[in-house]
Amino acid sequence: MLDYLLKYPQIVYDQGELIFAREWPVWIAIASFVVILITISVMLLAKRTTLRLPQLFCIWGLQLCMVLVVLVVLWQPAIMTEKLRAGDNVIAIMLDTSQSMTYSQADGSRMQEALTVIDNDAISALQDHYQISRFTFAHDANPTESYETLPSPEQMTLLGNSVRQVLSMSRSTPLGAIVLVSDGADNAGALTQDQLAELASFNVPVHAIGVGQEEIEEDLELQEVTLPGQALPGTILAARVAVRHDKPGQARLKIYDNDNIIMSHDLELDEGNKISTAWIDIPVSDTGYRHLRFSLDPWEGEQITENNHQSRVVNVKEEKYKVLYIEGEPRWEYKFIRRAMDKDQSIDLVSLLRVSQNKFYRQGISSPDELVEGFPLTKAELFKYNALIIGSIEAASFTPEQQQMVHDFVSERGGSLLMIAGLNGLGSGGWENSLIYEALPARLSQSNGKFIREKAKVELTAAGLHSPMLKFDQDINNNRKAWQELPEIADYQLIGELKPAASTLLTIDVNGENHPLLVNQPYGRGSSYIFATGGTWRWQMSMPLEDQSHETFWRQLLRELVIDTPGRFFMTSQVTGDQISIKTEIRDENYEPERELKLTAIVTPQTGEAMTVELHPSQDIPDLMTGEFRADTSGLYDIETITRRDNEPIASARIAIYHDAGKAEYFSLRANHMLLQQLADATGGRYWNQDELDELLSAIEFSAAGITQREISPLWDAPLIFILLFLFKATEWLLRRRWNTI
Amino acid sequence: MGNQLVFLTPIFVRNRMNKSVNILSAFSVTVLVYLGIISAASGDPFTDRNASDAEFTFVRLVYNSAPAMYQGYGYGMRDSWRVDWPDAENHFLQGLGRLTNVNKSAQGKLLSLVDDELFDFPWLYVLEVGSWVLSETEVQRLRDYLLKGGFLMIDDFHGSREWAGFIATMRKVFPNRPVHEIDNNHEVLHVFYDLDNRIQIPGMYTYWSGNTFEKDGVKPHWRGIYDDEGRLMVAINFNMDIGDAWEHADHPDYPEPMTALAYRFGVNYVIYAMTH
Repeated sequence: MLDYLLKYPQIVYDQGELIFAREWPVWIAIASFVVILITISVMLLAKRTTLRLPQLFCIWGLQLCMVLVVLVVLWQPAIMTEKLRAGDNVIAIMLDTSQSMTYSQADGSRMQEALTVIDNDAISALQDHYQISRFTFAHDANPTESYETLPSPEQMTLLGNSVRQVLSMSRSTPLGAIVLVSDGADNAGALTQDQLAELASFNVPVHAIGVGQEEIEEDLELQEVTLPGQALPGTILAARVAVRHDKPGQARLKIYDNDNIIMSHDLELDEGNKISTAWIDIPVSDTGYRHLRFSLDPWEGEQITENNHQSRVVNVKEEKYKVLYIEGEPRWEYKFIRRAMDKDQSIDLVSLLRVSQNKFYRQGISSPDELVEGFPLTKAELFKYNALIIGSIEAASFTPEQQQMVHDFVSERGGSLLMIAGLNGLGSGGWENSLIYEALPARLSQSNGKFIREKAKVELTAAGLHSPMLKFDQDINNNRKAWQELPEIADYQLIGELKPAASTLLTIDVNGENHPLLVNQPYGRGSSYIFATGGTWRWQMSMPLEDQSHETFWRQLLRELVIDTPGRFFMTSQVTGDQISIKTEIRDENYEPERELKLTAIVTPQTGEAMTVELHPSQDIPDLMTGEFRADTSGLYDIETITRRDNEPIASARIAIYHDAGKAEYFSLRANHMLLQQLADATGGRYWNQDELDELLSAIEFSAAGITQREISPLWDAPLIFILLFLFKATEWLLRRRWNTI
Repeated sequence: MGNQLVFLTPIFVRNRMNKSVNILSAFSVTVLVYLGIISAASGDPFTDRNASDAEFTFVRLVYNSAPAMYQGYGYGMRDSWRVDWPDAENHFLQGLGRLTNVNKSAQGKLLSLVDDELFDFPWLYVLEVGSWVLSETEVQRLRDYLLKGGFLMIDDFHGSREWAGFIATMRKVFPNRPVHEIDNNHEVLHVFYDLDNRIQIPGMYTYWSGNTFEKDGVKPHWRGIYDDEGRLMVAINFNMDIGDAWEHADHPDYPEPMTALAYRFGVNYVIYAMTH
């Protein structure tokens, strides 16, 4: 109806520009309007004896509107549009042929649905106006003559990559638009903003047509398993698992170490949540690469079970980490921290204790020269440590250079900083005015942050409950109970407002009000912690002799501080489908990036030949060396990267990953129409439901890409104009009749 | 106050100390000291139980002691824990504050082994242990206290009989842990001061009597009991009286080098206790 009144469909108005075809000067229109306005006013005023003032005003308004419409018509309004020139342009049709398109639904597979869409009259009609280029795509886009014979389903979908390939291949052709038929299940995770911006820069609209169901009630998908890549023997790993589901229920997760089941965990999948997450504690004891396999028991009727499993490799290794602890006064907390750490084989706790104004006492040193000049004076000396603990000592005890070094220790070296409370610690030590303050997770206050020697109860927060360093028991309820049973500590400091990235793991109950006690935040490459008490030693003295809570707390806290601190040679890997990329960073003793080095990775798969991958500087981050290889077989991949200077090997690093080759397509199985919508919106196209395809042709017509022609569509004869003129005049007539003036 | 009699005696004693001090005068002094202690005990030491607002509190262990007639070891007396109290610790605490960074309480504190607060204070000082008597509960709590990380400094007991009295009770606490001589290289002798030249520190009245030893305790011994990690948890100062040297630090007739050495031992014990 609206299309009839306005003469053209809405898309013409959306895409076009309103113009006046009569090229008369605008001032004539304004002058004419003013003259007519005066004339009408004078004529109506002459009739004021027969009409009352409100009636006169009404008639005046109607006549003025009619004159206005007439004037608009005289200036010939029109819509100017850019349209694809029929016959000269190319439209690319892209059909998703990835594995996920074979997924069977009640009315056939997704591929059958897609082919039905392509056979639709609206799509066929495109051939009458444009040349058609056909492509199939999954990991890459490939041109095809027809869709009668389709390639074998591919094991991976890279949507953004494929669209970019079609756009690049069509640079020399007048590509007017892309019509993309897909389920939107992209294994790269999602289209990044950078990818979308790159695709938008081609100025070719992508019209996306979604197929497949966005909900699969019978399917469970173990979407993600997050856990540290390395661990110390005897620690507990906190694994975060995320399960995708479309109906509530229960799922059993089994965890295997190689082929041996080590635990089974029932997960509650809540109603209303599409993704349910859970934290699971996994104790690791033996050293070596642990291949941990996480497996969800399938639900009844589940078609695809390949997405119920994920594998991770954890490198459990006996590694010595060094922690430097500087303390400003002899105190019990210092003694009991040292005692707790005495038996920890993984951490060397080196301490520097100011026993009098001019005397420092060193403990845990590995040579007589270590810290012989006191707190390190050079970066190289400080950066040897993985973590730094600063106790009850004033900021003024450190030179500005040393303060800057501590700041850089966190931000550049990637070390962990723990500040603990004390008579001269935190706010009382003037740390809020130090160069280190920026790195701390909370604001400090000299006035409110005094060291208070009063008893108070420590409480675990929700975030703390899942933190591996705060586990006394793997069972969440037992752990909570263990914390509740801890004796009170007898001193604390109140810290100020938390910084935005900070998390509170422990609180302290002061007169019924909870205050942050243990807080942390990531900062630069490292992280910083505040532990606002010096009184945990009372746990050791007050609990039964055999109780290990105090020792466990400090060992786990210090292990958490050091475990993720990067070494000078740092290597990670990332898996995208079957493509595995290696990223390395090499730094000197000051943790400045080392350049002019050659890096080679030797990749040894569990089955098959070893391969060599050369690493090159990343385009985005010059200090990062990257390389990638394709993993075609399932199994462990041992990656050893060797650094060479002048062809002489100077350092090496090693990691291992487990790869399930060809399984990527089973993940992100559900149709993701939102992703298609994002792609269409970013490129100026539109996402189409299958029942709206009748409008596709006219939408494509108005594409600004390709070879276009300008078209001016007159509006003066639009039915709406005549209806308005009639309405204004008829209303005046009816009113005059009612008022008996005619 | 407990030290009133002690401060009255110097002139009396000094007049008799010039050259020859006979056994009788020494006996008289001893009697007077005990009388002074008993006099001090006429007040109620337990009223001074205020909790400390400091990191380090000097806690003196209050225990039951049996007279010789009950124990059979001789030289025992009731309430022998009170000896040198409270001046010894009050003087020592001043020195500790002046010489170190330890945040210490102004005064000492008295606790028994069955006191609820015992485990809030990881430092204990006890003397005259030749006649100490510990109940089963006290024995158990002392064992737990030490194994958890508490430190015990034992002082001012002399001669073989008192050693026998001490060790009989200590064997109940640690039946299988040997008592070692602390050798010159031990960290407790170097943690703050290097105490390589160890000499016997006598009580004031012993010194006035012309000796540095009491009873048959001619040779001083610095002994210790260690935990499973080799850390010293009981420091036994046998045949010496460090507490007396602290107590009489302000006495013009007590030799300053002895007091200085006694302070140094005390400081090293405290720093060791707070670091190991």
